[in-house]
Amino acid sequence: MAYSTITLQIQDRIARITLNRPQSGNIINLSMAQELIDACTLIKQADDVHVVILTGNGKDFCLGNDSQQPLKKKKPSPTEVFPVAEAVAALEIPVICAVNGDALGQGLELALACDIRIAADTAKFGFTDISLGFIPTDGGTQRLPRLIGQAAALEMLFSGETIDAQRACEIGLISAVAAKEALLPRVDAMAKSMAQKAPVACRYIKEAVLQGLDLSLAQGLRLEADLYFLLHTTADRTEGIKAFQQKRHPEFKGK
Amino acid sequence: MSAFETIIYEKQSHKGYITLNRPRVLNVYNVRMRDELYEILSAVKDDPEVRVVILKGAGEKAFCAGADLKEFLTAPPPVQARRIRFQRDVWSLFLSLEKPVIADIHGYCLGSGIEMAMCCDLRLASADAQFGVPEMGLGIIPAAGGSQTIPRIIGRGHALEMLFSGRYVNAPEALKMKLVNRVVSRAELLPAVETLADKIAGYKPEAVRSAKQAVTRGLELPLAQGLALEARLGYSLRCNSTPVYKVAEQAGV
Repeated sequence: MAYSTITLQIQDRIARITLNRPQSGNIINLSMAQELIDACTLIKQADDVHVVILTGNGKDFCLGNDSQQPLKKKKPSPTEVFPVAEAVAALEIPVICAVNGDALGQGLELALACDIRIAADTAKFGFTDISLGFIPTDGGTQRLPRLIGQAAALEMLFSGETIDAQRACEIGLISAVAAKEALLPRVDAMAKSMAQKAPVACRYIKEAVLQGLDLSLAQGLRLEADLYFLLHTTADRTEGIKAFQQKRHPEFKGK
Repeated sequence: MSAFETIIYEKQSHKGYITLNRPRVLNVYNVRMRDELYEILSAVKDDPEVRVVILKGAGEKAFCAGADLKEFLTAPPPVQARRIRFQRDVWSLFLSLEKPVIADIHGYCLGSGIEMAMCCDLRLASADAQFGVPEMGLGIIPAAGGSQTIPRIIGRGHALEMLFSGRYVNAPEALKMKLVNRVVSRAELLPAVETLADKIAGYKPEAVRSAKQAVTRGLELPLAQGLALEARLGYSLRCNSTPVYKVAEQAGV
């Protein structure tokens, strides 16, 4: 599938998805939603991709979808919103969001569906839906409080105000702030380091943490133990231990 | 409405102000205050004119310094007290409000006071605010939901430290541990609370209620069920007519 609203590059085990409607603030329209879902499906099937980077081209990360644009004349129809966050959240490998600029509305929901968020110091974050009489509907009301807590989430959702990168970092919405030009190199380095780890172990870590948060502690501990012992059956585990003993870098095969 | 003795209730441009009003005894919570809070919260809950509730304390020294210990020694027998606790369950009533509740916190915010603040959605505090859960020192545990609400808001480690130690936490530390949303100077506190309340009151009430429901109920659910709840609430908002767009249309934008 040739993409027109995003780009997808796969190199050295890292897939980079770039939202590519820079003239329109990378606003999510039907094509972009379809292409994002397609790219995620493709990545999910590619065993040689170990880490995903999601970023935006131009000055914004993503300003949401069409119905979230203030002062739009016509009333949006319920079918005008195209869920995409679920496709990103369904990826089993680490997903790093390089928030290159403003992440608003569904754009923020997209960032929330990633595992780690690093942002440019110029980026702003917010859910402006409330000022139009809506609530976020691509996971925002669920993922935001799970990440930053109920009170901070309600403040953002109730007030509709945007916060800057510094504040976003203080409340745990993002992990770190970088100068705009330093952002991609920093995220690339992080992705590169993760891509060198044993891929099955990375997937199981994600599964243990994300599934575990929905379970009671006793059930979560059981899940962790089961995944841990399943890893004992992999060739990568044997290779990891051998490499450590022989003081060399391991060559993981994802098996 | 009967005349209140321990609280003041005022209503102004979509905001309902509940002021704990026993300033000479640091607004400590007694049986009368419980009954009056129960009465006013029941009324506020059903009043469509009130879109945002503000809870604050009268006087210079405290939001609320806890329960009235004088009444502890005249309390009814435990069996009767337990029955009353659930018949006039002021804390569940607090948590069941569908509209946003903002706590305006200055001075002492201790025991039942901090528990009341934790029943609110947003907490703004002045720089002189002090928070504490001193129950351990009295040989009891928090009984207004604190053992459940506090760890859910600030996490297990901070909550247990506050509960076990009984130590006071000052405003900057409270901000750092996310016990409060914001800290401002004493003079700026009420204006900051009102600015936020006015902003929220200006939005479509159904959307605000849906946002609160999605977050508070959603946090009790597994993520997948929470996402389904959000989709249902969001869809019904989108299906209903939106005055905001009509206004925009009429304005020709």
